[in-house]
Amino acid sequence: MSGATLSEALRAARGGAVPWSRGLVLPFALALVWVWSIHVGWLSSPLAIQPERILLAPFDDAAGREIWRAIAASVLRYAVGTGIGILLGLALGAAMGLSSTVERASGGSFHALRQITLFAWIPLLTAWFGNGEASKIVYIALSAFFPVALNTATGLRNVPTSYREVSRVLSLSRRQEIRRVLLPAALPAITIGIEIALISAWIGTVGAEYAIGNGRGIGTFVSEGREQFRMDIVIIGVIALAATGYLATRVCRRLSSLALMRASGLT
Amino acid sequence: MNVRSVAVDRVVDRFPAVRRIWTARAVGHRLLPLAIPLIVLIAWQCAASLRLLPVQILPPPLLVATTAIDLIRGGEIVDGLRVSLWRIGIGFAIGAGSGLVLGALLGLSRTVEAYCGLTFRLLAQIPSLGWLPILLLIFGLDETLKFVLIAKASFVPTVIATSESVKQIPAPFREVARVLQLPARSYLRRLVLPATIPGIFSGLRTALSHAWIALIVVEMLAATEGVGYTMVWGRTLFQIDIVIVGMVVIGLIGLAMDTGLARIEQRLQHWEARP
Amino acid sequence: MTEFTELAIRHVTKSYVVDETPLPVLQDVSLSVLPGEFVSIVGASGCGKSTLLRLIVGLDDVYRGEILLGGTQVSGPGADRGIVFQDHRLFPWLTLTENITLALDAFPLPAEEKAQRVRDAIALVGLSGFERARPAQLSGGMAQRAAIARALVRRPAILLLDEPLGALDSLNRTRLQDALLDIWEAQRTTVIMVTHDVEEAVYLSTRIVVMEPRPGRIRSVIPVELAARDRAAPDFVALKQRVLADLRH
Repeated sequence: MSGATLSEALRAARGGAVPWSRGLVLPFALALVWVWSIHVGWLSSPLAIQPERILLAPFDDAAGREIWRAIAASVLRYAVGTGIGILLGLALGAAMGLSSTVERASGGSFHALRQITLFAWIPLLTAWFGNGEASKIVYIALSAFFPVALNTATGLRNVPTSYREVSRVLSLSRRQEIRRVLLPAALPAITIGIEIALISAWIGTVGAEYAIGNGRGIGTFVSEGREQFRMDIVIIGVIALAATGYLATRVCRRLSSLALMRASGLT
Repeated sequence: MNVRSVAVDRVVDRFPAVRRIWTARAVGHRLLPLAIPLIVLIAWQCAASLRLLPVQILPPPLLVATTAIDLIRGGEIVDGLRVSLWRIGIGFAIGAGSGLVLGALLGLSRTVEAYCGLTFRLLAQIPSLGWLPILLLIFGLDETLKFVLIAKASFVPTVIATSESVKQIPAPFREVARVLQLPARSYLRRLVLPATIPGIFSGLRTALSHAWIALIVVEMLAATEGVGYTMVWGRTLFQIDIVIVGMVVIGLIGLAMDTGLARIEQRLQHWEARP
Repeated sequence: MTEFTELAIRHVTKSYVVDETPLPVLQDVSLSVLPGEFVSIVGASGCGKSTLLRLIVGLDDVYRGEILLGGTQVSGPGADRGIVFQDHRLFPWLTLTENITLALDAFPLPAEEKAQRVRDAIALVGLSGFERARPAQLSGGMAQRAAIARALVRRPAILLLDEPLGALDSLNRTRLQDALLDIWEAQRTTVIMVTHDVEEAVYLSTRIVVMEPRPGRIRSVIPVELAARDRAAPDFVALKQRVLADLRH
C-alpha cells in the first residue's frame, strides 16, 4: 500500500460526515451484554445489578433517595470552598505576578508545597481541623487555590514587554497599568487557571467527603453505599458525581468569566 | 558548538566583575526565598518547645527529622516505596500501553472515532476517585484494584494526547507526503511518528502524574502497605510526624518523576529546541 | 525529461461547497504550456491561482474539465510534477539531506544513485555545506532553496511554484529570482509559478497569465518578449505597466 493511497484512504475516511448516533451503538451494546449476562446467569454475584435498579434507586429506595440531599450538600460545600480557594489564589497569584519581591520570597515555598499530591494533605488537615466541615472546606479551597495562584502569577509575569512599554510611554500610573494593561493581558491565563481549579475542586469535594466520611455529601453517599455492598447506590452515586461535577463546573466557569470580564473592564 | 550559545555566553560574561560584588542587597535578594521556610520553621519549633500545641497536632520539626531518619533506617519508607513503585509501574504500563493503541486508532480512523469516541468521553468524565468505589466492590482490597485504578488514570490522558497528536499532524506536511508519494512505511516513520512523539510524550507525562495521584488515593483509602498507607497509618496513631514525612516523600518522588520525564521530553524535541 | 510533455488545461471548472452553497473558484480555465516555458500566473487573491496549481499537482481531484500532461489525464500526485509551496514545508525533524532524500523514497533507484542525485540537487540550489543542517538552522531563503531542491531531485517535467518567494525579504527575493532563472536555464524544466509580484513575473517568465477573481478565470495571456532582463529598461517597465493595467481592469 503506497503512502498516497494510505493518506488518501485516511482523507476519505475523515472526509465524509459520520452521523453522531453511531456513538450510541457501543454504550447500548454494552448495556445489552450487561443485562443479558445477568439474565443468563453469567454474572450471579449480588453485585451484578440490573441497569433499571440503578436508575430507580434515587426514587424508590430509602437509602437511594438520600442522593438528592447529598448532591445539594456537596454543591454548597463546593461553592464555599472553591470561592475561598479562588479568591486566595488570585490574591497570592497577583502578588507574585506583580511584585518580584513577593515572587522571590514565596515562589520557592509555593512550588515546593505544590509538589505534594493534594490528597496527601487530608491526614494533616483532619489532624488540624478535625473530621468535620472545616477540614473539607480547607481541602476544597486548597484544590482550587494552587492552579489559580500558579496561572495568575505566570499570566501576569508573561505579559509581553511591548505592552509594558506602551504603558510606560503613556505614563500610566501603576494602578492604571494593572487595570488597563496587565490584568486584561493576563486574563486568558487566569481564566484557564480558574477552569482547572473548578474541576480540581470538584474532585476535591468528592475526595474530601469520601475520605473524611462524616456529614452529608455525594462522596459520603457513595462511600456508605460501598460499605453496604450496594452496587446500585455506588453506581448511581458515581454517575451523579460525574454529572453534577460537569454541570457545576460549567455554571461556575460562566460566572467566573463574567466576573473576570467585569473586573478587567472588558464588558 | 552552535552560534547562539556562544553569543549567550559572551553576554553573560560581559560584566564578570559586577557579578562578583556581594552587596548587602544582593545577599538579601539571594536569601529571600529561604525567609518564609525559615520563619515558619522557627515559629514551628518555638510553638512546639513552648508546648503551645500538642504533639498530636504539631510535632516539633526535630521530631519530624528524627522520625524521617528512623523510617528510612527501619526500612519502612524503602519497603513502602518498593510496593508503591511496583504498583505504579505495572498500572502505568497497562494503562499507557492500551491508551497508545486506542489513541492511535481514534486519531487515524474516523470509524473508530465515530463508534468509540462518545463512550470514551463519557467514561473519561468519571474521575478516578469515582471509579474507586465501583472497583472496590468488584475487586475488593486485592492488588488488582490498584493496577486497574492506576491503569485507568494513565489510560485517559494517554488516549487524549495520542489521538489529538495524530489529528493535529499539520495538513501542509500531509500534503507534502502525498505530493512525494511516500510509501506507507515512510509515511509512518518519517511523518506520523516524529510529528506525534512530542505530543504523545507530554501526554504520558500527564498520565504518569495522574497515575501517581491515583496511587496515593488508592493507598490511602484501600491498602495495607505503600507510601500512602504509611501516612494514613501515622494519622491513626496520631503520629503527625509520620504524616509529614509521608507528605515530603510523596512530594519528592512526584517531583523526581516529573522532572525526569520533562528532561526526556526536551530531548525528544531537539529539532525545535536547539537550532 | 526531454520528451514532449505539453500540459493542457481544458475547460477546468471547480467550486467549493461552503454552507451547502457552491462557491465557484475556477470557471472554464483553459491553458496550454509547452515544454521549457516559464509561465507566471498573477491575479488578485481569490482568483483561484493556487487552486489551479493544486489541481495540476493532483492534491485535489474534484473538478470538471481536463488536465492532460503529455496527453494523459492527471490523477493524483506523480513523479512528473513537483511543487514548491510558499512555506517551505521541510520536515523540521529531518536534516537537509534527509528531507531531500525523502522525495526519492518512492523511486526504485539504487542507494548510491539517490545519494548522487541528492548531492546534485543540493549543489544546484547552492546549499552545499549545509547537508546536515536542520530546517530551523536555515534562513528563510535557504529553506526555500531546500524546498526547490526537494522538488527538483525527482526531476519533474513540470515544476509548480506556489508563491515560492512570497515570504522572503526583498534582498533574498532578488537573489532567489536569479537562482530560479539559473536553475530553469540549466534544467530546461517547464515552470508554472503563481505570484503576487508583477515585476517578478515579468523578470522571470516567458508568458504571463493574468487571472481575475470571483469566479477565477483567465483575463489575458501576455507573452514576455524582452531584449534583456533589465528591470530599468523601457520595454520592461512598459510590460510591467501593461500587466498591472490588466490586473486593475
